[in-house]
Amino acid sequence: MPIISAELVRSGGMPSAAELEASLLAGHTLLSNTAEHLIEVVDVLESYGQVLDAYSKNLIFQAEQQFLLPFPLFKYLDGDKTVAKIWRHLNHDRINFEYAEYCMKAMLWHGTGGLDAYLDSEPFAANCRAIIGRKTRRDPLLALLHPVFRGFLIELIRTAATTSALGQFWRVMSDLFLDLAAAEAAGRVGSIDAVVEFIKDGLVAVAGNPITYAVEIEGERMWVLPPEAGLTFLADVAVPYVEAVFLRGLPFLGTVSFNAQAQQISPDQGQFAYGALYADPLPSMGAGIPPSLLMQDMYRHLPERLHQLYRQRGRGEGDVRVKICMSFQKSMFCVTNAAIRGTFPSPLSSGDPAEQAANRAYAAAWASRLAVARTDCLD
Amino acid sequence: MLSLLLLIPFAGALLLALWPGRPAEGRMRTVTLVVLGLQLAWSLVVLARFDPANSAMQLQESLPWVESLGLEYKLGVDGLSLPLVLINAALTLVSAICTRDIDKRPRVYFLLLLVISGSVNGAFLAENLLLFFLFYELELIPLWGLIAIWGGVNRAYAATKFLIFTAVSGMLILGAFLGLALLTGTADFSLTPITGERLAMGSQLLLLGALLIGFGIKVPLFPFHNWLPDAHTQASTPVSVLLAGVLLKLGTYGLLRFCMGLFPEAWALLAPGLAIWAAVSVLFGSLAAIAQKDMKRMVAYSSVGHMGYILLAAAAATPIAILGAVFQMVSHGLISALLFLLVGIVYRKTGTRDLTVLHGLLNPERGLPFTGTLMIVGVMASAGMPGMAGFISEFMVFRGSIGAFPLATLLSMVGSGLTAVYFLLLVNRAFFGRLAVTPPIDPVVHGRLDVNLAAVAPRETIPAMALAVAVFAIGLLPYGLGRLSEAASTAMVQLPALAAAVYSGGLG
Repeated sequence: MPIISAELVRSGGMPSAAELEASLLAGHTLLSNTAEHLIEVVDVLESYGQVLDAYSKNLIFQAEQQFLLPFPLFKYLDGDKTVAKIWRHLNHDRINFEYAEYCMKAMLWHGTGGLDAYLDSEPFAANCRAIIGRKTRRDPLLALLHPVFRGFLIELIRTAATTSALGQFWRVMSDLFLDLAAAEAAGRVGSIDAVVEFIKDGLVAVAGNPITYAVEIEGERMWVLPPEAGLTFLADVAVPYVEAVFLRGLPFLGTVSFNAQAQQISPDQGQFAYGALYADPLPSMGAGIPPSLLMQDMYRHLPERLHQLYRQRGRGEGDVRVKICMSFQKSMFCVTNAAIRGTFPSPLSSGDPAEQAANRAYAAAWASRLAVARTDCLD
Repeated sequence: MLSLLLLIPFAGALLLALWPGRPAEGRMRTVTLVVLGLQLAWSLVVLARFDPANSAMQLQESLPWVESLGLEYKLGVDGLSLPLVLINAALTLVSAICTRDIDKRPRVYFLLLLVISGSVNGAFLAENLLLFFLFYELELIPLWGLIAIWGGVNRAYAATKFLIFTAVSGMLILGAFLGLALLTGTADFSLTPITGERLAMGSQLLLLGALLIGFGIKVPLFPFHNWLPDAHTQASTPVSVLLAGVLLKLGTYGLLRFCMGLFPEAWALLAPGLAIWAAVSVLFGSLAAIAQKDMKRMVAYSSVGHMGYILLAAAAATPIAILGAVFQMVSHGLISALLFLLVGIVYRKTGTRDLTVLHGLLNPERGLPFTGTLMIVGVMASAGMPGMAGFISEFMVFRGSIGAFPLATLLSMVGSGLTAVYFLLLVNRAFFGRLAVTPPIDPVVHGRLDVNLAAVAPRETIPAMALAVAVFAIGLLPYGLGRLSEAASTAMVQLPALAAAVYSGGLG
């Protein structure tokens, strides 16, 4: 057996499900509280906030301005069709908006929570009929397509609705993460626990915000997700987003590939574990949404303090995207931590045995899923 | 002219030996690089002066030395030896370039490197059997030293094994040369072919047998290959480059120049058996390579297999086969040197060559992606992919030998196919999949390892890149090398007829 230097290969602590459960119930943070972790999490969330700002604007632009366009050639240009913008786009001097679309598709496909339920409801179908009726009046291509493929335009409207919902969700998260960076710079956030608490407070504050979506067709404003649908930020969009993007994700082929016929991919979508919390930071593209796209985008907006830290670690600039991904996973554990903390059935300080049991069951359910995630980054 | 090819490296070695004080490793390396650069430049001058249309020895130099023993300082170059002289100059330079961090006795290290290069040039250029033997033996001790002093953990074992095997090889060769003088009654030790009229076939077979075993050890051919995998495994990367790229060629050169060249009639008699021996060697080398877990041993066994093609070509003794043999010597020199360089980089970065431990080294950010890319180029070349040097040589060998020995050729082709098998195993295990440098005991832990390999600096891959370019150059433009060696290889094939005609007065 060869002698392999311990410096070459490191494996993290990888806590068990029981340890994670105990940690959640005790109100401890999943990520250990170190000065370097704080820099990584705050700075990577700052760059993520800036990227989410761009994603959010584009998703909302797509949902509102590119609605039912059969060939949305300029959907990534945010309405700016100048030669300079097109050149920058073609030269790939741009944000990878494709990543945002992957996330949207993951949400649409996994389809959990209130938004998905509404997209399959009769009121939504009625909205679609009205929209399609008006849209096909002056659009011969759609008028031809709709009778032949009855479900096609409805599915496009579902896609547009999910696009808009994700755009609205990320609008809030972008502001939250940029506020977090400002709070840390101002000295109001100085530990991982404070980061988790800041995010939890931010999520709780907007939990009940309504999610609505309307499009303008021939001068008339028509609802796709009307206020009366009662869709709210946390329950109907944030939780399905976490389920679809953080946890389940989609398996992508890369140097590590999956054979669905050999049952390497579970036929049960609920068992999927390819999300951001499970993704391999090494760009083998073995799991999750291609992380390299998001890492490229965050690299464009990396705060100098974090960039400086990365230059001193590993291969410096050479493997910077891997390091961004590792920091990103740490930050996503903090966000997950905040979401769990904010959605416990009862306060953790409760002395009621029934409430304690409910909290324990809730923590155990999360811990069992997180135990097989990339918890090696937590210590 | 040719003497300078000996004088430059030997004078360089002397310069290093007499350098005053305790010079730094960097200075020794620079001096060696300058000397080897000069040697390469002068080899190119010889190439420029060489007339490819002339099949005879050219640029000859001769000086009586110990006339009573028949030892004459006589040098010459032809289309068989010139490519090998060039590859010696190029690969010694490559091995000096890729020598880094010599922790002990850098002066001796570089001195031995120069002595080896000079001796190899001497052996390739010698036109006298004893002179060849002198240089053949002169290269042994420095190489033994390079393995024994700068080798791996089991270097003493590997170096001793190498020394014993090659010393036996040397004894057999010297015995055959002396036997030749004794039995023919002439002690001129020239390269004149022996015919049945000068020496009975039984004696010819005896002497040829000794030479075959002697050079068979050096090549090495099955079952005399045993020393090579150990020597490679324990030798440092530059020494492996030299060993595979240049020193093994002394064996194949000996087979062509002395076995086939001196005993054309006996050679023709033994040829069917030699072809089968070649096929067995090819298949054995390939199958043994498949079973290896150490990357370097795998490449070493691939050498055993690929050297078999040269014996097959020599046995067939058709013009195209002999030309193929020359191509194979050059292309194997380049490809095996390339592969050893790359294995060396992997070993330096990961500390292991174990194929059960290495995974996913092609990883773009944390792995060794460019090294992996070059490795894929190298294994494709070795497996005989068209457009690369390996294809041209194997194609010519097989094309030249299939008419004479169809069964042996077909079996050798199977060996060529097996090359793809073991090298794809190597690439698949070490370079594809999730990056890791540990045995996959627990898949969950394995998939989460944070691997921190040092990056490969561009300068570290420059020698390998140069070799890869040469592999493509010969594969895409084989005409240059073909033109260089065509006349000589055609003349070698006509030796039996020529020799018979000379001695029967047919040409008179």
